[in-house]
Order: sequence, then structure tokens, then C-alpha cells
Amino acid sequence: MATDVHDDHDRADVGITAAALRAAIPLFIPAIPFALVLGVAITDSAMPAAVAWSTNVFVFAGAAQLAVVSLAATATWLTLVATAAVINLRHVMYSAALSPRFSDQPRWFRWIGPFFLIDQLFALTSVRVSMPGPQWRRFYLSAGIFYFTSWIASVTIGLAVGNSIPTEWRLDVAPAIMFAGLVVLGLVNRPGIVAAVVGAGVCLLALEVPNNGGILIGAISGVVAGYLAEVVATRRSERAER
Amino acid sequence: MSTFAAVTAVLSVGLITYGSRAGLIVFLADRPLPVNISRALRYVGPAVLSALTVNLVAGGQGIGGVEWIEVAAIGVAIVVAAIARNLIAALCAGMVTLWVLLWLF
Repeated sequence: MATDVHDDHDRADVGITAAALRAAIPLFIPAIPFALVLGVAITDSAMPAAVAWSTNVFVFAGAAQLAVVSLAATATWLTLVATAAVINLRHVMYSAALSPRFSDQPRWFRWIGPFFLIDQLFALTSVRVSMPGPQWRRFYLSAGIFYFTSWIASVTIGLAVGNSIPTEWRLDVAPAIMFAGLVVLGLVNRPGIVAAVVGAGVCLLALEVPNNGGILIGAISGVVAGYLAEVVATRRSERAER
Repeated sequence: MSTFAAVTAVLSVGLITYGSRAGLIVFLADRPLPVNISRALRYVGPAVLSALTVNLVAGGQGIGGVEWIEVAAIGVAIVVAAIARNLIAALCAGMVTLWVLLWLF
């Protein structure tokens, strides 16, 4: 069945998959401690462990998963969903940035592809949009499926480990430390710092708001503050140029 | 949290996550986001993650739920993250600070 042409094709495909994996693995390493922390958080969660674990399959978004699993004890359905929605808003940016590359792709891929669109996959594939359509698709899916399976494996290891670690180690604090670190690493400019400080400050003031509503109030205030800070900074630099 | 509530929450969050990733690709192919919106979206990450950190530290018990040891550990993690630009280093520094303070006090 395999003609020479097919052989060449297959070899090229294997090459792309190999290239995708080579590019994907280094970016996965920083996600491993995150996955382990999530695994431990699943053992601590107010949700049944199996349900909390299933976020790997149904959600597949580290920060949103960690938020849902660790907030379950104190939040209502609405707060969980609203918080996850806000955390996931950055994916809209990824979706917007990649949508031209998806426009000439087959329909099945336009529906399935976005499921895998985590930060790392965006980082890898958005810089390779000049690849021809089928090759880009193969690269995207190879890296995406790699991330999906390694993520599930790492979280599951964390879950197994978490069960055997005594509570005196206070691993329940790890999610908060993780999020604080993520904030700092995500700061690229001064308006970003404004957004983070206002988000944290307003949430602190709004802690008494029922159902963890303070998260949303803080987040929205932070976004508005960051946006305004950027507008002010842009105006100032325009004035300086004049 | 009951199993039913947990399952509904997980499935809803799953749908929302997929929607935020697929929305523009499946339904609005090639229509760019307005500049103002993409500008504001850039600040969602820092704003929501910092609010979430504060909320997790309080642990649903208001300001009274804040433990100073936790705050100190997070403070160290923030400094390390800013200097080393490395999440693993920040996590380790934060946890070690927490353990040292718990052992001391």
C-alpha cells in the first residue's frame, strides 16, 4: 500500500512530530512543579478526588484547574465558574492571534485544535505560523497531545505523592505561592504592576464579600487600573515626543 | 461540596475554558479583536492571579484567616521570582521560608 511518495510523506511527517516534541519538552519542565502542586491540591480539595482529577481531561488549563480545585471548599458554583472564566480570558488573546492560521484548516481541526491551546502550545505554534497548513497542523497536534498526556501523568504523580505527605508540611500553601510567582513572571511593564497591585489590594478590601466575590471585584478593578495606567503612560510618552 | 455540584462545576468550567480558546477560531475566524479589548486583556493575568493569591491566603475566613508566616513565604517567593525570573526557584524559596518559620515559631 505504501508507495515511494507515501514513504517520503510519512518520513516528513515523522520529522515534524520529532521536531514538535523536541521543541515542546523544554517548555514542559517548568510546568512539572505546577502539576505536582495541583496533584497535591486535588488530595486536599473539597471536591471528591476523582472529580477534581477529571479537570485534567475536561478543563486542561493549569491555573483554572488549581483555582477550581482549591476554591471548592469556600466557593459556590457561580464563583468557581466566574473565576475560571476570568482566569481563562487570556486564552481569548491566543485564540485571536491564531485564528488567521486556523482559517484555512479543515473543520475537524478548527474544533479540536483549540482544546489543546495552553500557554506553552501558543508560545510554540504562534512563532511558526509561516509553516504550510498541513505541517503546522501536525506540529500543533503533536506538541498539543504531548502536553495533554504529560500533564495528566504529572498531576497524577502529584496526587499519589500528595497522599503520602504529612499535612504539617503545609503543602496547602503551595498554590498561593505558585500564583504569586506566576503574577511576577507575567509582569512585563509598569501598567502590569499597577494591575497586579490594584487586583490584590481591592481583593483584600473585598474579602468580606460573600462567595469569594472579592476575586472578581479585585480582578476587574485590576484590569481597569492596568488599562488606565497604560493609557496614561502612552499619553505621557506622546507628549514627551512632541 | 456534593459530587453533583462538583461535577457540574467541572463541566461548566471545561465548557468555558474551551469556549475561550475556540470562540474566535471556530466562530469568528479572521475577525480581529478591537484594539481596546486586546489591550485590556493583557492585564487580566496579573489582576486575577494576584487577587486569587490574596483570596487563597485568607482561605475564606476574611482578613482574620491571613497567617503572617504564609505572607512572609509569599513575599520571599515574589522577590525570588522577580530576581531569578524562575517559577521553580520561587516555589522552592517560598516553601523553604514557610518551613523555616514554622520550625522557628
